[in-house]
Amino acid sequence: MKTKLKGILAVTAIALSGSGAAIAQESVKIGVVTPISGTYAPIGQQVRWGLELATKQVNEAGGIAGRQIELIFEDSEANPSVAVQRAERLFEVEDVDFLTGTVNSGATLAVGQLAERVGKLMATTVSFADSITAGQCSPNVFRVNARAGQQSAALAAWVVEQKPNAKVFYLGPDYEMGRSTVAAFKEKMTEFGAEDVGELFAPLDSQDYTQYFGQIRAAQPDVLYTSVAGNDTVRFLTQMQEFGLLGDMLVVGASGTITSQNITAIGDAANGFGTGVGYSTRIDTPENNEFVEQFRAAYDADPDLYGTDSYGVIHFYKAAAEKAGSLEPDAVREAMRDLTWMTPQGEKLMRGGDHQAQQPMYVVQINGGSFDIVGKVDGETALGADLCERF
Amino acid sequence: MLDRLSLSMRASHILVALLVIIALVFAVVAWSTGDRFYLRLATEALIFAGLALSVDILLGYTGLLPLGQALFFGFGAYVSALVLREVPSFWVAIGVVFLSTLVVGLAGGLIASRARGVYFALISFGLAQVVSKVVYNIRELGASDGLRGIPILDIEFGLVSISTNAPLAFFLFTLAFMLILYAIAAYLLDTPFGRVLIALKANEKRVPFLGYSIFRARLAAYMLAAQIAALSGALYPMLRGFVSPELMFFAVSGNAVIGVILGGVGTLAGALYGSILLTVMRSVVGTWTEHHLIVIGLVFMTVVIFLPRGLFGFVRPRLEALLAREHRP
Repeated sequence: MKTKLKGILAVTAIALSGSGAAIAQESVKIGVVTPISGTYAPIGQQVRWGLELATKQVNEAGGIAGRQIELIFEDSEANPSVAVQRAERLFEVEDVDFLTGTVNSGATLAVGQLAERVGKLMATTVSFADSITAGQCSPNVFRVNARAGQQSAALAAWVVEQKPNAKVFYLGPDYEMGRSTVAAFKEKMTEFGAEDVGELFAPLDSQDYTQYFGQIRAAQPDVLYTSVAGNDTVRFLTQMQEFGLLGDMLVVGASGTITSQNITAIGDAANGFGTGVGYSTRIDTPENNEFVEQFRAAYDADPDLYGTDSYGVIHFYKAAAEKAGSLEPDAVREAMRDLTWMTPQGEKLMRGGDHQAQQPMYVVQINGGSFDIVGKVDGETALGADLCERF
Repeated sequence: MLDRLSLSMRASHILVALLVIIALVFAVVAWSTGDRFYLRLATEALIFAGLALSVDILLGYTGLLPLGQALFFGFGAYVSALVLREVPSFWVAIGVVFLSTLVVGLAGGLIASRARGVYFALISFGLAQVVSKVVYNIRELGASDGLRGIPILDIEFGLVSISTNAPLAFFLFTLAFMLILYAIAAYLLDTPFGRVLIALKANEKRVPFLGYSIFRARLAAYMLAAQIAALSGALYPMLRGFVSPELMFFAVSGNAVIGVILGGVGTLAGALYGSILLTVMRSVVGTWTEHHLIVIGLVFMTVVIFLPRGLFGFVRPRLEALLAREHRP
């Protein structure tokens, strides 16, 4: 009965907000442009869950400075052209105070440019591309999740600890993202004194990786880095195992290389695989344990890093808006810079110089089908230098 | 006495004139309510209507199904974006797009015009796939992220200038731009050249007996369609300030074909109406429900089943009959 009453109140509030400006003033509007259909729909689902859980909790605890949060969703179809059109509706028609939810980096960058042109703020909770908070940074765009560089820095630091002066071989998928992930990791490893013994790029959807094994064997690497993904990982690692090449070689890779979707198919060959991540449900802190429990109770699913960072962004906006004492983009931007706030991963710091969140990074290793945390790198080491020159 | 083609063109002109009136009424209403979003959405719809127009030239008049027409739309958008980043001038961008599309349209036409029927459809589809994948992987073109930072322009007309950031002015400008493209297409299709194209669609084997080259006519139609698609695409980065490889993807080509079928194949005006309806419907339904693709699929199926010749395949014959009666001596 109580929930029904609440529902009626909410409906009335929405109905009234169309006509009465006074009531519209009451709620804080946050626009969410995220893929609800298409390839990235599972990520969009996590984003939605994370945002809705945080919003529900914040609203129950009194909202942002006494004002309730209202989320307005739009489907980006993971297409920058659609995302920009939808974001424009949220900015112009709904007059949202803040925008989040973009997933693919193309959409984040394009919507970021729109936010800058209309003078509003946005944050991404998913996009990895380093450029968003480096070469292509924008004064109106923030990132609360860890970027690709933080993941590879954490992984590199851990690999060097395991195998000092290692000989490293790199194998990536032959397209832009594959080449840039390999280049980024190689740069970090060379910095730490590792020896580069070769690199290879295999076409996407390669059926047969054995043609590369001669070259890998001849190089006698201690460490193999790979950024292939999906079914390519399945074929690559199982074929390596069949040829007895895995041995005591340490295999590491990008965070998308082995996921819950392909780990079963890889089987034993996945054991020992290490990667750098910004979040794991295994982080054993009271905040995280409580968050995981609440998330499971609400959605009957585990939160992943996207869900968790989307949960965190609501608290980020709340902290900034309350610190600023207003919802004016300029005031909120000032408050967001160098802000520290609490998330399930622990305390995060929003670096003022490039709008990139700084957080502790973790290295997880697969052991019998589950991801165990085997290393932790502190936030400042993993983040690296501020490369943003626009503000 | 007018022949059937001239008559159908007249009917099409009347429907386009009606579209202009609707657009102007909309512009006044939107302007008086201080709206930005719907004006810019309508501008985008007009830009994609240009792509649908080019599809109709091939599908409706030449009898070729282009499954990759977004190739030229995206090409125009990328060339325009690259030029505007260096030289922020509308006229320079349009000039470069026009000239480069002559070359690229000829190259594509030499490959695609050899084939017909399903083979043409596949070659057209394949070319677009290849080029979009190449763009997707070239870092200098922004790779999968696309290009941003296309400045807000002032389009100079001697005394007056129009800012691409002023929603009403740029909407009216785009409307005029599309009318010019429509007028060029309609004029060319009403000449003997247009009649050869229609003959190709009706019975290709008999065309050489009348002394016309199939290949040349098809190549010319292909290049005309490429030009219209590219010039429409050139406006996209001016409106949105960015381009991305998705503009060349099959979804864009497919939507253009769906727009043409909705409006009525071979009616020109129908392509414009169908495409605009589709863009607006996608946006409005998308806001209303997350199952927008299902709704649009159902609408499409309903039209195909109950109005197999599209909205204007239904309206236009009645209009033609009316016009024919007036012109009877």
